[in-house]
Amino acid sequence: MFTVENISKSFRGRAAVEGLSFEVAPGEIFGLLGHNGAGKSTTFGISLGQLHADLGRVVIDGFDVAVDRHRALARVGAIYEAPAFYDYLSGKRNLDFFVSLSGGAPAKRVEEVIELVGLTSRINDPVKAYSHGMRQRLALAQALLPNPSLILLDEPTEGLDPEGIHETRELIRSLRDRLGLTVVLSSHLLHEVEQLCDRVAVLQKGKLVFSGEWQRSEHAVPLWRVESDQDAGAVMARFGGILSAGGLFRLPDAVNPSDVLRALVAADIGVGGFSRVVPTLEDFYLGLMKSK
Amino acid sequence: MKLFARKRTYIGFGAFLLTEIVILFLLSLERVRSAITRVIEQAGYPADEFLSGLTLALLILLWTVFLLGSLYLALVAGDIVGKEIEDGTMRMMLSRPVSRGRILAIKIVAIVVYSLVLSWFISLTALAAGLIHSGAGGLFVFAPMEKVFALHEFGPGMWRYFLASFLLGFALLSIPSIGFFFSCFDMKPAAATIITLSILFLDTILKNIPYFDSLRPYFLTARMTAWVFVFEYRIPWERILEDYVWLAAINLTLVILAWLVFSRRDFKS
Repeated sequence: MFTVENISKSFRGRAAVEGLSFEVAPGEIFGLLGHNGAGKSTTFGISLGQLHADLGRVVIDGFDVAVDRHRALARVGAIYEAPAFYDYLSGKRNLDFFVSLSGGAPAKRVEEVIELVGLTSRINDPVKAYSHGMRQRLALAQALLPNPSLILLDEPTEGLDPEGIHETRELIRSLRDRLGLTVVLSSHLLHEVEQLCDRVAVLQKGKLVFSGEWQRSEHAVPLWRVESDQDAGAVMARFGGILSAGGLFRLPDAVNPSDVLRALVAADIGVGGFSRVVPTLEDFYLGLMKSK
Repeated sequence: MKLFARKRTYIGFGAFLLTEIVILFLLSLERVRSAITRVIEQAGYPADEFLSGLTLALLILLWTVFLLGSLYLALVAGDIVGKEIEDGTMRMMLSRPVSRGRILAIKIVAIVVYSLVLSWFISLTALAAGLIHSGAGGLFVFAPMEKVFALHEFGPGMWRYFLASFLLGFALLSIPSIGFFFSCFDMKPAAATIITLSILFLDTILKNIPYFDSLRPYFLTARMTAWVFVFEYRIPWERILEDYVWLAAINLTLVILAWLVFSRRDFKS
């Protein structure tokens, strides 16, 4: 569906993306993570043919974007960087203009999409009167109008308030669940990606440092917290436990936690609590960045 | 649609209307009228017959269309691509399966339509204002730079005026061609406008230096005044055609180069 093959791009001698490859399967919500300047927007720009890759290619539905952009983007909707509209035109006229560039859309479809993004009551107002959240919704509407099978969203919740973030997240999820869309979104908000994405690719200084299901990564192994005034290290070490960050222990998968607890009690170690800590995406990301 | 939906598109139209009114007012002043009367009468013709609305319309056109027209056409053309890139709306357009060539073609059509509408608006309003002010009559033509001096009765004067207006629209297209070309580069829209105006003014200055008379055919603005020749008693069609072929070749070259530049650009904030 969406394949990035070994793309590299430099700006004024500085590598923005280097040897990046990953693949997104149909129906996935795929996250592109990374710090500011990691290469997320550059990847989207190359995917839309707005940036010329120095090396490599992006293939969408079997078509190379650089060679056959028209067919590659025929069923793609996108928000690339900060959305921009003609402030002196209404939301509706903006949508009419942008969709006319790719052959137009039936009036019924336009109405459906406007309703889907929740802009029905304000669609005929000039865009200059829109809030940031409304502009984001209008941007999503223009991305959905051509009835896409793939949506590329570059920082879709940037600048939104908590309600806006929640609404956008639910909308993205419903696009996949109800309409079967494939979604590739970029963000540096880990909590947002954690709640939405099936798989992620993590970029650091333009290079791919991880791709896949982050929950299965070594940086996302569940840890154990032992609440005690005494040192439990020796007992934990008997079971192959390794002290990790924050005073938590990593235990081998084969170890039964009940046996560990029994051993702690038998060793007269006062245990106030013994619990499993599931790492968050933030834990995974920070652990990954530290290891690099 | 977008170009004519913006209020500032109409600044040029408003400015020209105002200029025409001001010029007509100044032409009403006794010492100004007597200066023009003297020139007509020294040529052996009755001033009453030839200091008419048609003559005033042509005077307005000759005096204003290049300077003011350059300004507004350069302004719109300098903006037409560069402003969209600067504002981010070009990124929105290119997120759709539409080729860069098609977007440029749409822009070219828009700027051509604007240029033609503006130039014909100027011609027609100048004619209307002139006729309302001074009524019908013969046409007195005095264009020293183009070495054109002629007097025509009302009928022949009118069709020559309409023909000249028609040709003027196409002559002025070279101004937005230059602006459009620079607008495709990675520069501020204002820079594209300023460079366009600088080129035109430099060309005009050089063209008007007497010692460069033999180089006149190589100056763009010399070719752009071909429309004035329709007022000669015997219209030099070959010369007019040659000038317009030159202009068309320059315009086409600029558009092709603009497309090459635009197609290689990266769009990222």
